[in-house]
Amino acid sequence: MIKVKNLHKKFGKLNVLNGIDAHISPGEVVVVIGPSGSGKSTFLRCLNLLEDVTEGEIYVDDQMINAPKVNINEVRQKMGMVFQQFNLFPHLTIMENITLAPVLLKKMTKEQAEKRGLELLRRVNLEEKASAYPAQLSGGQKQRVAIARALAMNPEIMLFDEPTSALDPEMVGEVLDVMKDLAKSGMTMVIVTHEMGFAREVASRVLFVDQGIIMESGTPDEVFNNPQNGRTKLFLSKVL
Amino acid sequence: MTVIQEWASDFYKCFIKEDRYKLLLSGVGVTVRVSLLAVFIGIFIGMLIALCNLSKRKPIRFIGSLYTDVIRGTPSVTQLMIIYFVVFATVDWDKWIIAAIAFGINSGAYVSEIIRAGILSVDHGQTEAGRSLGLNAFQTMTRIVIPQAVKNIFPALCNEFIVLIKETAIVGYVGLMDIQKAGDFIKSATFIAFMPLIGTAVIYYVLIKMLTLLLSRIEKMLRKSDIR
Repeated sequence: MIKVKNLHKKFGKLNVLNGIDAHISPGEVVVVIGPSGSGKSTFLRCLNLLEDVTEGEIYVDDQMINAPKVNINEVRQKMGMVFQQFNLFPHLTIMENITLAPVLLKKMTKEQAEKRGLELLRRVNLEEKASAYPAQLSGGQKQRVAIARALAMNPEIMLFDEPTSALDPEMVGEVLDVMKDLAKSGMTMVIVTHEMGFAREVASRVLFVDQGIIMESGTPDEVFNNPQNGRTKLFLSKVL
Repeated sequence: MTVIQEWASDFYKCFIKEDRYKLLLSGVGVTVRVSLLAVFIGIFIGMLIALCNLSKRKPIRFIGSLYTDVIRGTPSVTQLMIIYFVVFATVDWDKWIIAAIAFGINSGAYVSEIIRAGILSVDHGQTEAGRSLGLNAFQTMTRIVIPQAVKNIFPALCNEFIVLIKETAIVGYVGLMDIQKAGDFIKSATFIAFMPLIGTAVIYYVLIKMLTLLLSRIEKMLRKSDIR
């Protein structure tokens, strides 16, 4: 579903990604772990071209998306993204946050979008907040709305960029629960996170990224219980 | 004669005698007309120049910065006189329209900076969220960034509007009879300085006070989504 070949990314003279190759199949839940500054967020942001790619190729459904003249907006409609800072639209109500894109991009009529929005809000347990504004919600609630907003476009893939890092500890669980449900429903997911317990429980595959390359890749059992790479061992000994 | 009687007689001479208050009233009309039209022209030019300044293309950014630079670097009286006596010298339009164009061109430079700052004040995460949903750059700008920027832009824009009204007190230089010129005219006709000049100040003050009250009500409406 997503294929990444020899991905390089430079910010000025700084090499952030140094040749990443990855393959993500439908239904997989891939969790990306690694120390801060390792390039894991940049890798995720390259997947929907929020960062332009310096070198390499990214394929989504066999279409090379960083080729010239690709309509990236169409590609992004298939890829939902959830951010660390939620990035809800503060001037719109929760329902408007969710329905804006599907209606504007003519995926649904307003009525259809609102019906779908209500379903999604029920799914993340926030039905009663439909007419509230983002400023009236807690961090955990905001992030659940952000997930519902991304799902409203019926994406094939969901990208999560450290979705619980900006949350108070007691709110992390509610967001992870929503993500677990989503994983169970068969959604293809790529998740950058520091929640090792979550990674172990939900991931079908774990990628350990450091110094801009994938140092180790395997099932949670392989990576957490029997890491092969020295850097993986060192990292895990610090965080577990 | 007591002081009060003296004041009353001055007041009569300056405002009542020969219907001089009508001069001031028509002056208010000129000031309001010039300011209003200039504000619209200013906002229009301001948006264009702000777009230039935010453009990715260097030559376009250069046009924007050149405009701002020249307008900010020259006095508005000079600009007004150049527009009136040079640029529009052979055009037979109403004086107040030409003056409004001059003030609009001047104001546009300041408005563009206000708009640019307002757009940049919206967190970049908002743009990323919009784009990640599949909205194009234009949709993200018009549906997500600008509605939020307006709230930041509005107070500064009000301030610019008020500055502009006061700036128009120089239209006398091109022969328009606005509030200031009317007060000045009465001063020359009656040889009384205090009454007409204080009267001029009071009229400007009341005008701007009313505007401020109106604008702060609109601002409150714009802030409705900030409730916590």
